[in-house]
Amino acid sequence: MQDIQTAELKTEIKELILDTLKINNIKPEDIDDSVPLFSNDNILGLDSIDGIELIMAVQKKFNVRIGDQNLSRSVLESIDTIAEFVIKEKEN
Amino acid sequence: MKEIDFKHKMAAHCETGTVTSLLNHKGLDITEPMVFGLSSGIFFGYFESSNFPFPTFIVRNKPGSIRTNISKRLGVKFYTKKFRSDKEGEVTLNELILKDIPTAVQVDFYYMDYMPDYQRVHINVHFVNIIGMNDSSYLISDSYFPKKSELKKTTMQKARFAGGYMEPKGFLFYPEYIPEEIDFEKAIIKAIKKNAFYMLKLPVPFVGIKGMRKFARKVTDWPNIARDVDHLSHEIMRINILLEDQGTGGAGFRYLYATFLQQAADIVKDDGLKDMSKRMMEIGDNWRNISYFAAKIGKNRDLGPERLKELSEMINARADEEYKFFNDLNKLVK
Repeated sequence: MQDIQTAELKTEIKELILDTLKINNIKPEDIDDSVPLFSNDNILGLDSIDGIELIMAVQKKFNVRIGDQNLSRSVLESIDTIAEFVIKEKEN
Repeated sequence: MKEIDFKHKMAAHCETGTVTSLLNHKGLDITEPMVFGLSSGIFFGYFESSNFPFPTFIVRNKPGSIRTNISKRLGVKFYTKKFRSDKEGEVTLNELILKDIPTAVQVDFYYMDYMPDYQRVHINVHFVNIIGMNDSSYLISDSYFPKKSELKKTTMQKARFAGGYMEPKGFLFYPEYIPEEIDFEKAIIKAIKKNAFYMLKLPVPFVGIKGMRKFARKVTDWPNIARDVDHLSHEIMRINILLEDQGTGGAGFRYLYATFLQQAADIVKDDGLKDMSKRMMEIGDNWRNISYFAAKIGKNRDLGPERLKELSEMINARADEEYKFFNDLNKLVK
């Protein structure tokens, strides 16, 4: 049950990224959960400004706060890490 | 490698992180946001002077003030020393490590070669704790790095005795004495009042709320002082870096201050401070909007008069919010 919820959350995060950054040519299922979001290996091809927009979108959508830059870097590492962060924040 | 038993922790900001870790090591249970708040760390200043190649702003009190204000507020005594001779600076540091005293040093961040290359820039006011050594290297606890790291002693010497603006001159410090009893409630109230004074009443036209308004007025003139559009774009994008990317705790230290107020509410038993904490979080979100807006228009070279006017209005709106916020906060703690 928990696995299903986590999978749903990851899809929600992917949809949020595509919607926020207005990326129309990629589907949520094309995005790998573990590949670093800002690496050249990632299909999304994000830059640091996308990163700020993403932080703001994740904060708003999930009602969490991603404070400093160190935390931002670790949370925005991949879809997996964003999902882990959101789950942890909801539990607290 | 001789290693002092020291708990390494990451932190939002290097100076608050270094001071917090040293105080924790010495037995004082205190958090990084509490250190920031007690040192009345929140600030704003807009600077145009020959010291800076282009106008700039700061969002916290000046480097070194965290330690000195904590000392005043809590009665903690720090041993501090600067050096004329780099050799003497090295010998003193080594003696402290041999005595099992973890010691903070001021360094040029560029030489911290365990950090990723893309993050390393020359800035003379980075602080790290030295927590061990062998013949050739020091063991470093850097609050910007996830784990303890080694740095060659020769590299550390370059970092401690780098030249230029705000040169470290081998500066080092550690807490020598912590009072057995500290009245945190009294210290919190005093720190908040002092911070409200800094933001509202310092009779200087470029600091506090007045500094924000000056920034809002002046930013629309930036195209006239930038060399060209690339330079202007670079300076506008630096707004984002100054607010988010230089160990600010997020949104120009506003999130860190909000967390301080939340923790302070429990200590002084005043839920009003919790409400103020929420307001400061929202103010932080609004600064982050500025950060994003600046990064976006800078990147897209969308720097016409309308966009800069929009940016100016956003900054003025933050000044309005913080003016009201610090007045309300000041009344609350009276």
